[in-house]
Amino acid sequence: MTGPRDLNAQIESLVNRLRRRQVVGSWSVSLETALLLRQVVSVARWNQVNVLINLVKDVGGKLVMAQPRELAVGNIVRRVLRLIRDVYNSEVSNSNTNLTSTSEEVEDDDKDYEDDNVIKSPPQKSKTYDLQSYSGPGSIISSSFFSSSASMINLLGDGSVSGKEASLDYDRKCYNLKPTIISELQELINELENMYVNIADQAMEHIHSNEIIMTVGKSRTVEMFLKTAAKKRKFSIVVAETSPKYLGHEMALSLSQAGIDTTVISDSAIFAVMSRVNKVIMGTHAVLANGGLISVSGTQMVATAAKHHSTPVVVCTGLYKLSPLYPYDEDSFNDLVAPDPVMSFDEGELIDKVTILNPYYDYVSPELVSLFITNTGGHPPSYLYRLINENYDPEDTVI
Amino acid sequence: MENEGNKKSIKERTKAKHKEKQSKEMNESSNKQVAALFSHLEIAKGANASLASRDIHPAVLVIGLQFADFKICGANARCIATLTAFKKVIQDYKTPEGTTLSRHLPTHLSPQISYLVNSRPMSVGMGNAIRHLKLEISTMDIDLADDDAKLLLCEKIDNFIRDRITVADRVIVSYGLQKIQDGDVILTYARSSVVQALLLEAHAKGIQFKVIIVDSRPRLEGKGLLRCLVDAGISCTYAFLHAVGFVLKDVSKVFLGAHAFMSNGALYSRVGTAMVAMMAKEKNIPVIVCCETYKFAEKVQLDSFVMNEQGNPDEMVNISTTSTPKAGLLDGWLHKPDLKLLNLLHDLTPSKYITTVITEVGMIPCTSVPVILREYKQV
Repeated sequence: MTGPRDLNAQIESLVNRLRRRQVVGSWSVSLETALLLRQVVSVARWNQVNVLINLVKDVGGKLVMAQPRELAVGNIVRRVLRLIRDVYNSEVSNSNTNLTSTSEEVEDDDKDYEDDNVIKSPPQKSKTYDLQSYSGPGSIISSSFFSSSASMINLLGDGSVSGKEASLDYDRKCYNLKPTIISELQELINELENMYVNIADQAMEHIHSNEIIMTVGKSRTVEMFLKTAAKKRKFSIVVAETSPKYLGHEMALSLSQAGIDTTVISDSAIFAVMSRVNKVIMGTHAVLANGGLISVSGTQMVATAAKHHSTPVVVCTGLYKLSPLYPYDEDSFNDLVAPDPVMSFDEGELIDKVTILNPYYDYVSPELVSLFITNTGGHPPSYLYRLINENYDPEDTVI
Repeated sequence: MENEGNKKSIKERTKAKHKEKQSKEMNESSNKQVAALFSHLEIAKGANASLASRDIHPAVLVIGLQFADFKICGANARCIATLTAFKKVIQDYKTPEGTTLSRHLPTHLSPQISYLVNSRPMSVGMGNAIRHLKLEISTMDIDLADDDAKLLLCEKIDNFIRDRITVADRVIVSYGLQKIQDGDVILTYARSSVVQALLLEAHAKGIQFKVIIVDSRPRLEGKGLLRCLVDAGISCTYAFLHAVGFVLKDVSKVFLGAHAFMSNGALYSRVGTAMVAMMAKEKNIPVIVCCETYKFAEKVQLDSFVMNEQGNPDEMVNISTTSTPKAGLLDGWLHKPDLKLLNLLHDLTPSKYITTVITEVGMIPCTSVPVILREYKQV
């Protein structure tokens, strides 16, 4: 059993690796964060939930500061905080009705998402609203109607008075919550690990034969999405190389190796070719609360060109990229990186007299996006606020 | 003697067959890699002097090679180079026995023209210029002596270059100066000779403005413009096309050059122009095109597919921005069966994205292009 000192060492190690960009990419960062937070919950000494919440917020704050542009870190921290509060609330309501703690069994992610959307609103943790509880390995969580049916509360108002009072305190002594919280965290980690498969499984519903699909840059999600569809459908892909990073080249190589007919075009030909493209499928770096995207530079061009040709824009992303932050200023999430790929030092005397711009990200406004395909199914941009309500708490928006 | 002759011809024949086979193989491999939508467009083959037959004038040979290698690039430059080369052809021309200059000269020029077209498809302006030249030749007075006729033709060519290109550019610049004010931030794309002249002239007049040059792969023509403007002392910013959304926030006007203007008001220009025009229009920034009237075409075109030019796809493999090439990941793309590279050279900007066109006859909306053409025809 590792002690708190080892835990601090682990936290420092992840913070350093994030700062040095040794962990790159939203997915790997999210997975590492979730694993570290699981360690925090299991190792750290706490007997009151508010202590745990403050601890997680503390660790989360350090991680967010290490790589501020990587919004996925903050998202995972917020998910964990919400998860802890939910477990606490359900525990409180259980003890209110005088029952011993039950083991939770949250439904698996690879259950059909259609059921989730139709019957129960919270897609991750579907709960039946039984008034009885029962324990056992394959049991479904029991909860009183008021406090744990999160979506119902939000529909009907601010929630029942008793539930809210109890959740504000977080000071009940709950030693027995630890295994529950850890198993919930494990569900989160499983969801992250199965992310690509869940999204790729929806591929057949969105691609028909002989389509010409355009994609931008390199996204592992989109790659798996297209490769899964290519097993049964015949279509062609046009990849826009995103100079100066040339991510499009890697994507095209990988797709053509899977046997998909791929054409690489330069960024300048995007508008020219767009009139023959049936749909645009792309990944993103982050999704903001209004449905806007922060994605690789060049995406705004593609999305605007698609809008002008009335071509649908489909964004494949995992829920861990959904952030509750608003883009009050378009540039607040952008980075200008080294201009060397644009104009290198070989052009010596020229670079002294010229400003060279090389933005890394682009902001795409939500009007340009038609559909988000997430591991929980397809959603229009207007639905994202519901997903944010279900997965994050408003007090966690600033970590 | 006969045997030797036979042997020689056999050698020549086998050599020719081998060459044919080689070019066929090259064509086949390149055909495999052509994107299906563009299979009706030929891919640029690169400079190849062996394609020329014996009667190509050396001046034409030289510019043909320069066109194929993109050493002379840009509609105005190519047109002037072609007309200058044809001037030399006409000066060296001798009318053969039994025919007149006005009848034979066009047939003499035809193989030169087809050689140029083989090196690189002709631009619309070049086509108009050559049509004008042929018209002048056919309306030549038969009684005129050969030397006088040739002098007259050369004079007419000079007049064309002067009136429709050089002076037209100056008039366009003077109109364009009205559109540049102090404090403007002007965005331009790739390299247009007219826009370059306009910006240099505006700076010389003392107008305080900034220029943002947006450039794109694989030609990177904007760099040449950047050097030219920086040498003149204009404060410039340089970015690639992916940054155009980021950069347009501060821009007040967009100036673009043209390769040709279609009769339906659509602008045919360097690939990427349509993207810049569209993004600017989205943000309600005026898009001003500078175009001489000799580039107006009788054709109508709706998309960038039916008529276009494909450059050498291997240009996309090189990812370095300097003159030393550095092969990127796509090296060896020919051997990967499902991978194709598309290197388009031009694209079509629909008229709704263009605010106004500055020509030597004034500032017109792009829908007035067929009206101007009609005026010229009546003259």
